[in-house]
Amino acid sequence: MPEYKGMVQPVRATPDEMRKIFAEPVPDEQKPEKAIEYLDEIRKKFRSFVVAMESCVKCGQCAENCHTYLGTRDPNNIPANRAELIRKIYRRYFTLEGRWFGKLVGAEDISLDVIEQWYSYFYQCSQCRRCAHVCPFGIDTCEVTFIGRQLLHWLGITPKLHAAVGGAMEKVGNHTGLPKPGIVDTLEFMSEEIMDEFGVEVEFPVDKPDSDIIYIPSSADFLLNPYTLMGAGMFFTYIGANWCIPSNVTEAGNFGLLFDQYYTQRGNVNRLLNAAHELNAKKIVWGECGHGWRAAKMYVPSLADRPVRWPLTHVHDEAAELIRRGELKLNPENNPEPVTLHDPCNYVRACGLNDNMRTIMNAVTVDFREMNPHGVDNFCCGGGSGILFDDPEMYQRRIQLSQKKADQVRATGVGKDGNGILCAPCSICKAQLYPMVEEHELGVHVHGLIDLLAKALVWK
Amino acid sequence: MKLLIGQILPYITVTLFTLGVLYRLGRWVGPRIVHNITLSPWPKTNTEVAIRVGSEAFLFRNLFRFDKALWFGAIMMHLALLNIIGGHVVGFGFLGEQFALIPGLGISPELSTEMSDMLGTVFGILLFVALLYLLFRRLTLTPVKLVSKPSDNLWLIYLIVLVGVGNIMRLFHDFGVGYEQVRDYIVALALFQPVTHMELLNNGFFLTHYLLVQILLIVFPYSKLMHLFGMFAERWIVNRVYKDPAPGMPNIDVAAARRAGIGIPSDDAAEEGV
Repeated sequence: MPEYKGMVQPVRATPDEMRKIFAEPVPDEQKPEKAIEYLDEIRKKFRSFVVAMESCVKCGQCAENCHTYLGTRDPNNIPANRAELIRKIYRRYFTLEGRWFGKLVGAEDISLDVIEQWYSYFYQCSQCRRCAHVCPFGIDTCEVTFIGRQLLHWLGITPKLHAAVGGAMEKVGNHTGLPKPGIVDTLEFMSEEIMDEFGVEVEFPVDKPDSDIIYIPSSADFLLNPYTLMGAGMFFTYIGANWCIPSNVTEAGNFGLLFDQYYTQRGNVNRLLNAAHELNAKKIVWGECGHGWRAAKMYVPSLADRPVRWPLTHVHDEAAELIRRGELKLNPENNPEPVTLHDPCNYVRACGLNDNMRTIMNAVTVDFREMNPHGVDNFCCGGGSGILFDDPEMYQRRIQLSQKKADQVRATGVGKDGNGILCAPCSICKAQLYPMVEEHELGVHVHGLIDLLAKALVWK
Repeated sequence: MKLLIGQILPYITVTLFTLGVLYRLGRWVGPRIVHNITLSPWPKTNTEVAIRVGSEAFLFRNLFRFDKALWFGAIMMHLALLNIIGGHVVGFGFLGEQFALIPGLGISPELSTEMSDMLGTVFGILLFVALLYLLFRRLTLTPVKLVSKPSDNLWLIYLIVLVGVGNIMRLFHDFGVGYEQVRDYIVALALFQPVTHMELLNNGFFLTHYLLVQILLIVFPYSKLMHLFGMFAERWIVNRVYKDPAPGMPNIDVAAARRAGIGIPSDDAAEEGV
């Protein structure tokens, strides 16, 4: 039962599943003591964490700017309070004021209950960084929940979903557990689909040695978002690229960022660079995945353990550049439906993709309507950081977490006639929004951005 | 009492404050910025970083963008505080005649003293009112109430008392102290001379105000007041220059690819595809 003393919690991985991702669960009676030990170790490494622990003045500005708090009205979902769940322990054990003044400054002893609180609330945080964006000091609660989740992982507490994804990545190189023959089959099927629907001949080379470009798709694009992968194939074919998909890394995501920034995230980074090395690639181009693009763009340099010879760009960066240079012939009339853009949080607040997404959007659609707020001020879809839990309690929570997004989409009016498009160019956003647009009855279809670009390409 | 608060404690205060702040800053310098977590859109030059951080530090840009009421209260409070701290330094340093020293304005020393008095009074009252507003906000607004700890409210009350005593001294001349008295006292302290005989230390309001300030400075490094430095430490992490790698893919010639008709099926292929 995913609930603990009234707190919702995701289903957790079994000890065996934890061992598959090389983590040994700590027995319950040792958890509090170990938690302090790990926290002490990590606070001496991450300045972003220490400064976040010691600088908050509790002005309360983050509250109304967090979609989680807006959707649930749970006081512990206010970013300042969410960080306080770990800050109260940090104060008690690692600061003089906490030892001297205790409750007066909000210090508290560690206990299993506190650890369970961490598990509940750190996995309701979407790590969207909107609180960092609005904080007068720039305090990044995302850094706090990253470290909270890291501690939980070391204690042996990780959601089943995240552990399964970690295990599949370890085994086959993507999150869905799709082996190479399945990948090749699916890609051949997509070639046929493209021919049927668009009348264009597109090949998806796999593991082609000496490819100039390796493209890293989100593995969800093989199953759930086929038009995004088909779109990327059409784009690379259109521009005459020498490209391929490396079968060893068919995953743009890196859940290590979200639950284990040491072993898991570093392992995925090195798996990627090894693939680029083996195929003798010149450049790595990333597919539509929000957290994955952040993990690649911002974390590869610090986790690579070697000089990184391959420039990393996002397929949106490249498409926008070609549009600006006028090299793509596009017919926006091919996308006549009203469209609104959901900005993936990691794109706009961590990766600087804001302008490029709009360059593409304006070139490939005729009726593009911005949400309010949008761009860097945008709210998360409610699924950010992979909290896409399917058990009934957490699913209800996801509906609440997407409330703000639903209100925003409704206000644009794109779904009024039931034919609107909600463009959400990120696999987690898509996975969250496919069911959520139904739950909130928004009258829109969810698509990627490359889907729309590919539709607008003029081939002759 | 005079000996303790006036003669001994100030040296202890200065020592503890300095060491405490250095200790705290040292704790922040040890851990590193491990990963690049700068917030986009990124500043592209150090000038842009300075503008961004400066507008947050001195104009409270984010508060203005997302919560005008808080911005108003916060900027009034901090602006008044900044002027009052500055006023204490130049007021006592130049005996209130500092404005007469600015060349070209033709301000007489008497006028300057009057201006000093007036500015001190205005900012003192402004600070008092702004603090009351912030306390009122903390006690009434639900989200702020939810994030407040007892110490958050106590700090505001502490500052209100401290500023209140200062305002009494400013508004009622019988309870006040002269600029010259304070200057002589500070000079004597700095020269390690005895000060217990000084007239100044017979003033109960002064002693109270002075003691409260010293306690505040001693506790400062272990309190939320460290946000004065924390703000810059945090911005140093999340607002840094970042330059995107140049776009453009290797061996791409779109025009040539389109001339060659890549992807367009020849008639045979089109038939097969159907």
